Amino acid sequence: MGISIKGLNKAYFSEGNKIRALADVDLTIPANQIFTLLGPSGCGKTTLLRCIVGLETPDSGEIAIGGETVWSSERGIFVPPEKRGLNMVFQTYAIWPHMNVFDNVAYPLQARKEPKKDIIQKVKKTLQFVQLEGFENRPATKLSGGQQQRVALARALVAEPKVILFDEPLSNLDAKLREETRKELRDFLTTLKITAVYVTHDRVEALALSDLIAVMKDGRIIEIGVPKKIYFDSDHRFVADFIGRANLIDGTVRAVDDSYAIIDSSIGAIACPESPDTSPGNKVSLCIRPEFIRVMADDTPQKRNIFRGKVESLVFVGEAYEGEILIEDTRLFTKIEPTARVEAGDEITLFFDPDHCFVLSK
Amino acid sequence: MRRTTLNTRAALTPGLIIIVGFLTVCPVIMLIVGSFSEGLGDFGSFTLRKYAEAYTDPTFAGIIFNTIIFTIGSALVATSLALFLAYLNTRTNIPFKFLFRIISIIPMMIPHILFSVSWVLLLNPSNGLINLFLREIFSLQNSPFNIYTLHGMIMVEGLLDLPIAYLILSPAMAAFDVSFEESSKVCGASNLRTLIRVTLPILRPAILASFILVIVRSLASFAVPSVIGMPGRIYVLATHIYRIIATGFAADYGMAAAVGMSALVASITLIYLYRYLTSESEKYVTISSRGYKPSVVDLKKAKYPLFVIVGILSFVLIVLPVLVLFYTSLVPYSMVPSAKAFSMMSWKHWIEVLRDPISLLSLRNSAFLGIVGASLGVTLSVFVAYVIVKIRTRASGVLESLSFLSFSFPGIVVGVGFMWFFVKTPLYATIWALLIGYIATYLPYGIRPLTSAFVQIHSHLEESSRVCGGGTFYTLRRIVLPLLIPGVVSGWILMATMFVRELTLSVVLSRPGTEVLAVQIFRFSEDGLWGQLSALGIMMIFISTTLVVIASLIGIRLTKVETVSQ
Repeated sequence: MGISIKGLNKAYFSEGNKIRALADVDLTIPANQIFTLLGPSGCGKTTLLRCIVGLETPDSGEIAIGGETVWSSERGIFVPPEKRGLNMVFQTYAIWPHMNVFDNVAYPLQARKEPKKDIIQKVKKTLQFVQLEGFENRPATKLSGGQQQRVALARALVAEPKVILFDEPLSNLDAKLREETRKELRDFLTTLKITAVYVTHDRVEALALSDLIAVMKDGRIIEIGVPKKIYFDSDHRFVADFIGRANLIDGTVRAVDDSYAIIDSSIGAIACPESPDTSPGNKVSLCIRPEFIRVMADDTPQKRNIFRGKVESLVFVGEAYEGEILIEDTRLFTKIEPTARVEAGDEITLFFDPDHCFVLSK
Repeated sequence: MRRTTLNTRAALTPGLIIIVGFLTVCPVIMLIVGSFSEGLGDFGSFTLRKYAEAYTDPTFAGIIFNTIIFTIGSALVATSLALFLAYLNTRTNIPFKFLFRIISIIPMMIPHILFSVSWVLLLNPSNGLINLFLREIFSLQNSPFNIYTLHGMIMVEGLLDLPIAYLILSPAMAAFDVSFEESSKVCGASNLRTLIRVTLPILRPAILASFILVIVRSLASFAVPSVIGMPGRIYVLATHIYRIIATGFAADYGMAAAVGMSALVASITLIYLYRYLTSESEKYVTISSRGYKPSVVDLKKAKYPLFVIVGILSFVLIVLPVLVLFYTSLVPYSMVPSAKAFSMMSWKHWIEVLRDPISLLSLRNSAFLGIVGASLGVTLSVFVAYVIVKIRTRASGVLESLSFLSFSFPGIVVGVGFMWFFVKTPLYATIWALLIGYIATYLPYGIRPLTSAFVQIHSHLEESSRVCGGGTFYTLRRIVLPLLIPGVVSGWILMATMFVRELTLSVVLSRPGTEVLAVQIFRFSEDGLWGQLSALGIMMIFISTTLVVIASLIGIRLTKVETVSQ
């Protein structure tokens, strides 16, 4: 079931300053997809999530879930969270400490006053699904972080909600567990064919989990796209920078030739794919990901985008070297394969494929 | 619906500020007004006469001197004993660690007046049991011990305040980051040197905090100074105030108020110092979240001798007082336990007490105050704690400071302040005057456990219930209340036991017809009726224990309801 949001505004006051947590947010979340709201802390992503679920009331605008309006300032509609038919996994998991696993998971069904027999069966099925069978009588206080996370997921799934919302559900797990759980969660959600709205500030999590990513900043959604589009070909400087390490270079378009634009920049002429923004004379920003910058070997058949620079620093991080190369006065971040024979202070020749260099339109 | 909840919420904070403000500030204002007035009831014109009289009294310097020695001495005794016990418990391999928990909690169940009386029964110079015993064995002319001295008062008060000191020091000791000590040992220092050069200095804020809190408590203490000090003509501020209003030809409440002012000022200053130090110590003592396991010091050969000391302490603190009282309630007059004594035992004193109309009245009044007072007090505490924890505005901050203010008021001073207030109202000399006074003085005891209960109820716990389809009332019934009940129960238990044993405030506010247990016991001790006193004392302990058991059972019942649903 999809969600549509129109003209949503929400402001609050903190120490005398008005802060716009949501500024005219328009958004359509398609059904049966994993939709991620990504952004730095304070960008309004959690506020947006809490408005969808009904725990916070926006100042103005409209929210509809599956065609049914659940909030409208104009028409005076407010459906309370318990009647919106969705569920949520909280950052803290919010496992009730005075109940055992069974009662925690059974709660949404008990609140709906379903017959006991059905409840027992459904809880059993759901616990099996999250691989917690046999944990029914375990007190909630005797669960590990990963188990709590699964109980929270089971509780969110048990009543088969139309939409399930996640508020940074992995941020309390340690790094290794977080990676495993991320994969599991992806499997769970794709098996279920459910609409999931996922809030995170972790770019890797967003890229790995989502069907669609919406990047937020200062209460606005600035770009929506599939993970590859967001990573390889984002329109916004902010998005390009936020989603991964990026070399951002400003320049002026000199000419367009054979579907490539030639851009004059501080490191010299750069070729990149032609786009609507690359009419000659335009000022543009380019983004080049460090992993696409290569050290030139003698036999590389490459004509464009070849630069000479000095290795300023080189840090071995396991799967690669992270290097900073100084070209003229511009510093480029690169990833160099660990077998390369390069040392700090060396003069080296670099190149990157023009197709891996993209123009930021905003 | 939303609008009405907003309105009640908005009205809650100022409403509570008015109620709590009245309870805590009213006695202080009345005390100040009273200290500048001519007489109780009819204030008369503004006068400084009472201050002049009070502070030029030639005996006053001696009283201040006694008070200082008494409070600092008690603080020294309590803090060093607590430090010793806390160190043994948290940092060494001493056996039977459960004893420490008992030592830290049980003495709070034994009313201070009974504890003081039991030591009088053991160590008074004319017929104290230990004195009689030693005189018999060594055929001495005079008793070797005299409890009616400043030393005696310090010892008993120190033991009484030991649990408070322990409750402050033991968590600080347990939360202590062991790496400080480990690095000292790596540097080649011995266990003892590490203790003196590293452990104790780092714990200094906690030690000072405990020291100051015990000073405040002993400054407010009335049981020990009245039962042990007064017979030996050793007066401290609390008993001096009592003497002014309760003995002599005319009670002078103006002068009592003038004297009370200095106790109040001293107490408030010390509490501010205490709060400052505890916020300091939070900075100081580092609690690391990585499952810290304090390295345990092996006591080796000292293990059992040290344990014997702990055993003796717990015997002296818990078993001895009750035993002495029970024994005294059965024998006709003070005598060393012997075959003869056992043959003369009877229920005579018990029967006398149960036939004494005033004792019966005091039993009834105290039970009423315990049950009704604690219920009202906890109800108020629930709302106050809710506002303090969940509605975090500037006004709720005001409420928080107000509600903990009374913690620093010495009971007898609050009593004098309330006296100035109640005398103008129809509440004077009614049981409701006592009830209001009790709640005002002991409100922090109810609020503390409830604030921690509310803190435990993270807003996500309520919100996730809403998201799971639970409406407002369903959430209240299944999530909020069950999580709150443990706090309600412990708040109720604390208040009820405090109320049943209350002496300091009651000694001022209790009038004929509103006698309460502790006051009646105090009268028995003034008259030297030790047998009746002991019988009534045991009944008092019995009533508190019954209330504690019933409250705990109800608490267990109410929380059980949740888990039977499967």
